[in-house]
Amino acid sequence: MKMFSTQIIVPVDSNSVLQGALEVKHVLEEMIGTYNLASQVSVVETGSLGIYDQGVVLAVFPDDVYYGNVMPSDVEEIVTEHLLKGRVVSRLAIDRNLSSRRLVEKETGKSQQKIVLRNAGLIDPQSIDEYIARDGYEALAKALAMQPGEVIQILTDSKLQGRGGAGFPTGLKWGMVAKEQSDEKYIVCNADEGEPGTFKDRLILEGDPHSIVEAMTIAGYATGAHVGIVYVRGEYFMSIARIKKAIKDATEYGLLGNDVLGTGFQFDIEVYRGGGAYVCGEEFALLESIENRRGEPRNKPPFPPQQGLFGKPTVVNNVETFANVPPILLNGSDWFKSFGTPSSAGTKVFSLSGDIVNRGIVEAPLGVTLRELIYDFGGGVKGGKHIGFIQTGGSAGTVLTDKYLDTPLDFASMKTSNVSIGSGVILVASEDVPLLPFLAEVARFFWHESCGKCTPCREGTLQVKMIMDTLVNRTADPASLQRLGKLLNTLNDTSFCGLGQAAPLAFESALRNFPEVFDQALAESRVPEACQEEA
Amino acid sequence: MGSDKIVQSTGKAGALSEDDRVFLQGVVERNRAEHHGRVSYMDIMFELEHHYGNSLPGEVLGEVARLVGAPASQLNGFVTFYTMLSTKPRGRHVIRVCTSGPCHVTGAPSIVAELKRLLGVEVGETTSDGMFALEASSCLGICGVSPALMIDDDAYGNLTSGDLPRILAAKRGGGDA
Repeated sequence: MKMFSTQIIVPVDSNSVLQGALEVKHVLEEMIGTYNLASQVSVVETGSLGIYDQGVVLAVFPDDVYYGNVMPSDVEEIVTEHLLKGRVVSRLAIDRNLSSRRLVEKETGKSQQKIVLRNAGLIDPQSIDEYIARDGYEALAKALAMQPGEVIQILTDSKLQGRGGAGFPTGLKWGMVAKEQSDEKYIVCNADEGEPGTFKDRLILEGDPHSIVEAMTIAGYATGAHVGIVYVRGEYFMSIARIKKAIKDATEYGLLGNDVLGTGFQFDIEVYRGGGAYVCGEEFALLESIENRRGEPRNKPPFPPQQGLFGKPTVVNNVETFANVPPILLNGSDWFKSFGTPSSAGTKVFSLSGDIVNRGIVEAPLGVTLRELIYDFGGGVKGGKHIGFIQTGGSAGTVLTDKYLDTPLDFASMKTSNVSIGSGVILVASEDVPLLPFLAEVARFFWHESCGKCTPCREGTLQVKMIMDTLVNRTADPASLQRLGKLLNTLNDTSFCGLGQAAPLAFESALRNFPEVFDQALAESRVPEACQEEA
Repeated sequence: MGSDKIVQSTGKAGALSEDDRVFLQGVVERNRAEHHGRVSYMDIMFELEHHYGNSLPGEVLGEVARLVGAPASQLNGFVTFYTMLSTKPRGRHVIRVCTSGPCHVTGAPSIVAELKRLLGVEVGETTSDGMFALEASSCLGICGVSPALMIDDDAYGNLTSGDLPRILAAKRGGGDA
């Protein structure tokens, strides 16, 4: 590899492209040519750095200087001042107090623990060589030298749990598929990220697609499968392009195909796209969609490890779950368990959104508190305001007051303290955001996304939406809260799949944590006369 | 999916020309090769929607059903399930404005209201000049820059109501904002 004295990192992901990252990169490359710096300075395109509200960001190494809000017209100044004369362009340098990573490391001694995001923002995600240079595909080589059962044992010992929301033990799932006798088995990566407020899988796919290719291949070897499928949501154009390129490059390098790393093991990966259906995040609905059908869930049992895609044993894991696999194989299960809590090993990638200063993704050990995520990493509420409410886990998650700020988040926190971790959504609303219209939007979401297969969910989500609308419009009848409570229980108890079962979470938790908001809406309600007659 | 998607006749189109048939056969065959003998309806439908102006005419679906050896009803069931696909004619550009939680909290309601005002249509309608279809969307996964919307394949984030006329004008003119 050619050595350069200076590297400029340009994070290119869907968010930064929106802010003009590609133009800045183009001008930067031109200027470096113009000033004859091409032999000393390399421009490296990378995934997200997790810094969002600073426009286009450039990082200059080894100087460790970050520039923010860079416009194409600023580039020449950075080249002539910083690169030629060694003077930092202070007007563009990011105030370190605004950058969560810097602030946290400097002042609280806390830093992100990067396992899943180990390469995101450090390597060019489109370069297989850079992935390999960072120990990429070494875990695959190590796995291929072991017995499949040993690979599964390491994962089981690591206590890795699924990161898509359900928290099912990954080693157990792989073991179930491995022991099935079948001529065909499948490894499916669930990248149909649709939980509102979640954008971590997109950034993993955009920032480190080879980690998914490597992990799926390891899963294939461990379970005896020869076909992998990545199901990516249809709107994720850059994720689709990057995972496709990673698959192509890995095939050319002999890391996929008929003879993986010369061991005779055969594995291929294909990409399927979603069509804008939240329910396809449910594993059976996703498999139905790959089989060219409407995304409606199937009866369980049998579960996918017994009868999944095309009726064959199938592993379905989330993107983030897969991204954990190579480091676990390289570093061992004890290393992995050294992060997190006794009930939940490792880290979690959280998506911070809403009225928060530093929106973006953060990877922290499980057991991290909401306070650390929102204030230490997230920089607090925008405009110095107070928290109105927090939604954790996604739309299918809990709505909380700031009394929950010190609750540790892990896979047990739903059971122990009624705080959902779900897919890692941390949505903060300031005191200015009214709760009921927000909940009405959540209700509308579930009504719209219900697939319609089972009655409780199809009709129940509509009824929840109608009650929420009457509370917002102050036309609720006095019995509506009792009806809502009963409805939520029915949805939870009788819905066919996780969508309807989890839909009540937001409303139940809001009723529990903000009873006064509902009571006030009821007190201010007047039932329209037309409706009174009917009653 | 919304109730408007449950029962719907497929869109109207003239009889298929020979060019159409050749084109459709090519699309299906390429897809079959990419998926090792299987096909992905979704890939095919995205490509066809792009080709036929953001909707899927009934005749086209009928021909694809014949090519993949499936009943036309199965294909119709498939395309009417997924939000990104439409059998109803839509505008030249499809605006998907996110209304989910993170965008809601940071101002989506005012973005939707302003879009309705600027375009003179309700959500789910197409402008009279056939230029824009306005759709409310579930989370687009770009919550780091909410409120956000997508027009066709392009995403726009950190929106204020003031940004919208410029974005629409640029799309109308055929360029990027």
